[in-house]
Amino acid sequence: MTQRLQRLLPFLTLILLFVGLSIASPDHFLSKTNLSSVVRQTAVINLMALGMTLVIISGGIDLSVGAILAMGGLLGTMAMEKGYPIGLGIVIGILTGSACGLVNGLLTTRLKINPFIVTLGTLGIIRGATLIISNGLPVHQIPPAFSYLGEGNLLGVPFVLWVLIACAAAVHVLLEHTRLGRYAFSIGSNEHAAVYAGIPVAFHTTAVYAIGGMLTGLAGMIEASRLMTGQPTAGQGYELQAIAAVVIGGGSLRGGEGSVVGTLIGAFIMGLLANGSDLLGISPYLQQAIIGAVIILAVWFDELRKRRLGA
Amino acid sequence: MILELRSIQKRFGGVVALRNGNLQVEPGEVHLLLGENGAGKSTLMKIVAGLHQPDAGELLWKGERASFAKPADAARMGIAMVHQESLLAPHLSVAENIFLGREPRHPLGFVNRGLMLEQARRLIAEHRFPLQAEWRVERLSPAGKQLVEICRAIQHGSSLLIFDEPTSSLSEAETREVFRIVRALKERKMGVIYITHRLEELRAVGDRVTILRDGETVHTGPLAEITTARLIQHMVGRDMGQLYSRKPLPAGEPLLEVQGVTRRPLLENISFTIRAGEIVGMAGLIGAGRTELCRAIFGLDPIDSGTVRVQGEPAQSRSPREAVAHGVALIPEDRQRAGLATMLPIGYNMTAASMDKVARAGVGIDHAAEAKIAAGYTERLRIRCQSPRQLAGRLSGGNQQKVVIAKWLVRGAKVFLFDEPTRGIDVGAKAEVYEVMDELARSGAAILMVSSELPELLQVADRILVMRQGRISGELPGNTTQEAIMHLAVEGGSE
Repeated sequence: MTQRLQRLLPFLTLILLFVGLSIASPDHFLSKTNLSSVVRQTAVINLMALGMTLVIISGGIDLSVGAILAMGGLLGTMAMEKGYPIGLGIVIGILTGSACGLVNGLLTTRLKINPFIVTLGTLGIIRGATLIISNGLPVHQIPPAFSYLGEGNLLGVPFVLWVLIACAAAVHVLLEHTRLGRYAFSIGSNEHAAVYAGIPVAFHTTAVYAIGGMLTGLAGMIEASRLMTGQPTAGQGYELQAIAAVVIGGGSLRGGEGSVVGTLIGAFIMGLLANGSDLLGISPYLQQAIIGAVIILAVWFDELRKRRLGA
Repeated sequence: MILELRSIQKRFGGVVALRNGNLQVEPGEVHLLLGENGAGKSTLMKIVAGLHQPDAGELLWKGERASFAKPADAARMGIAMVHQESLLAPHLSVAENIFLGREPRHPLGFVNRGLMLEQARRLIAEHRFPLQAEWRVERLSPAGKQLVEICRAIQHGSSLLIFDEPTSSLSEAETREVFRIVRALKERKMGVIYITHRLEELRAVGDRVTILRDGETVHTGPLAEITTARLIQHMVGRDMGQLYSRKPLPAGEPLLEVQGVTRRPLLENISFTIRAGEIVGMAGLIGAGRTELCRAIFGLDPIDSGTVRVQGEPAQSRSPREAVAHGVALIPEDRQRAGLATMLPIGYNMTAASMDKVARAGVGIDHAAEAKIAAGYTERLRIRCQSPRQLAGRLSGGNQQKVVIAKWLVRGAKVFLFDEPTRGIDVGAKAEVYEVMDELARSGAAILMVSSELPELLQVADRILVMRQGRISGELPGNTTQEAIMHLAVEGGSE
C-alpha cells in the first residue's frame, strides 16, 4: 500500500499545492483570471514536455527544444507577416518543429552519436539559424486574430487547455495503444534487446524525435500568439523545464519509464509553484531555487520507491 | 578457523533470503558453497564482504565477533571477493586496477606510477599470470579480468578470497588456469570460498562443501565423502535422475543450411545443416567463433562469403530484423544485456518481436489479446511469477530465460540459436530449459545450442559440432565423450 501511495506522490503534491494556495491566497489564487493564466503559462512547457516524455521513454533526450520552439514560432509568424493565412502559418510552425526533430532523430540514429551531444549541437545550430533568418529582430506584423490561439477562450476556459487536452490524449494513446509507443518503451528499456527482437529501432527512434519536434513547433506557435511576436530568442532554458516536468512525473532518464499523466502533473506542479510564489510575494530568485529543490526531491522519492522494488 | 558464520538471518522486505546460514572456513582450504539460485549463497557472501548486514546471527573472524558496516571494513580485515560480473574500472590499466584505492604515493601525495607498475609486474610474474601491467582492462577477456581481481586480493594481503561463479564465463582451458591459481592460493594458507553451478568441476578444487537450500545450511562436510548425486539431492531436494532426459526424434527436412560462411578472421568456411526436430550442440573454447557464428547467421555481423538458407529459401540477413523475418531466433548469451527489457512487464517482453499479432489494423494494440498470449505462455513454460504484468527483471535467471524463449515462440520462429542458454541458471531451472528445447524440437523446430558445459551438451544434443579457431573441426554423435570433444576443440582434428 505504501508503494501505491508513493506512486501517487506527485499527484498528491499537486493537490496539496492547490489546496494550500487556495487557503493561503483565496481571493487571488482561485480567481478565474489567475487559474486561466496558470493554464496559459504552463501550456507551452506542457506541450514540449509531452514530446519530451516520448523522447525520454525511448531512452533519448532533446536539449534543442527551446531553440526549436523559437524557430517554429519565427517561421510561422514570418509566413503570416508575408500575408499567408493564420492557419497556414500555424501549420508551417508545426512542420518546422517536426523537421527539426526529424533532423535530431536522423543524426542520432545515422551517426550513432549520443542524443545528449547531438541535441546540444543542434541547440546551437537551430538557435543560430533562427537568429540569422530573423537578423536578430522579432516579427511584429501579425494579424490580431492570431492571439486567439494563446489568449482566447472556448466554452469558458482557455483555448490552449483544449489544445493541451487533445495533444495529451493523443500522446497517451500513442504510448499505450500503438506499436510506436510500445517500441519506444522497448528501445528505452533495452535497446540491444529491441534490436535482437527485430524491431526497426532507427525508424522508431527518429519518429519519436520528429513527434517531439512537432509538439514543440505547436508550442512555439502558442508562445508566439501569447507574445504576439515571433521572437528569435524565445524559449531559452525551456528544455530544462520540459525535462524537469517529465522527471517529476516519474520519467527516468535511463529510459523505459514515463507517462503522459505524470508529465502533466509534473508541469502543473512547476506552474503552481511559480504562480504561488508570485501570489505570496516570494522573490523570483527564490522561486528558481524552490523548483530546483522540488526536482531533486521528486527524483529522490522515485528512486527510493524503485530501490525498494528492486531489493 | 578463519571465518565462522552462525545462524545468520537476513530478510529483504517481506522476502526471507537467509533463515539459518552456517559456514566454517579453515585457512588453507577451498570451501565450496553450493545451492540453487535464490538459495541464499550470494546474500551470505555479501554479508561476509560487508555489502549487507545480517538481521540476526554471529559472524566470527579469526575467532572474534566482527561486523562489517561497509565493504571497506571487510576489505581491511582481509576479505576479498572476485565477482561474477567484473567490478573493475575498464578504462584503467591492469596495474591501476590492482592498486585502485591504495595507490603507492610520493612523499608529496602524488601517485608513484613507477613503483605501482613495478610492483604489479612483480606480482604478475610471480604467479605466472598471462597479463601485462600496462594493458587496459576493457580489452581483457572475462578470465583476464578475474585474474586482475585475484591480483588485487593478493596485493592487498587478503586472507580470505571469495569466488562467485568464477568459471561461468570461462572456457575449459581458462577454467584449468583458475584452478591452478586457486590451488596456489591454498598453499599460501589463504581461505577460499568458491561458489559454482558447475557440479562436474568441483572435485578438481574443493576440500569441503556447504550446501544451502531455501536460505538454510542443509549440509556441510568433506567433499570426498559425498557423491555428486547426493550433492544435487541436497541442493534441489529431489533426485537429478528424473530431472531430464531426451529421446531424439527422426529428423525431418533441413531447416537451417549454412554453406561456406566466412567472416575473416573470425569464421572460415563454416558449413552445416540442421533438420527439423534436431538439437545440434556446438562446443569449442571461448574465442573459437561460436558466438560470432550465431551473430552472423542472425544478421548482427556481415559475412564475407557463403550462404544461409532457412527452409530451403535464401536467408542471408543483413540485420536481425531480416533474420527474424526469415524465422530465425537468437537467445543471446547475455540475456540481461541483449535479451530482455528488465524494466518492462513480462507480457511486453513476450510480444516484443510480434507486434503484428497483437496490433489491430497494424496500429492499435489489443491489450486483451496480449494478456491472453502472455498468460498462455507463462503457463506453458511454467514461468514462476505473480502475474504476466510483473517486471521481467524481478524474475529469477531461469524464468527470465523462459521469457526470452517465449518471445520467439510467440513469433513462431523455426530456427533457434541458443547461445549458452543455461549460463548462471540453477540446476532445477536448467532441466526446465532443456525440456523447453526438447518441446521445441518435437514441434518441428531446428535448434543450435552453443554451450561450454560439456555434460550439458552430451545430455541434450543429438549430435555435436566442435569449433576451433573459426572453423568446424569435427562432428560427433550425441553419445560421445568429453574427451573426444576436448580433443577436437583443442587440437583440431581433420580439416
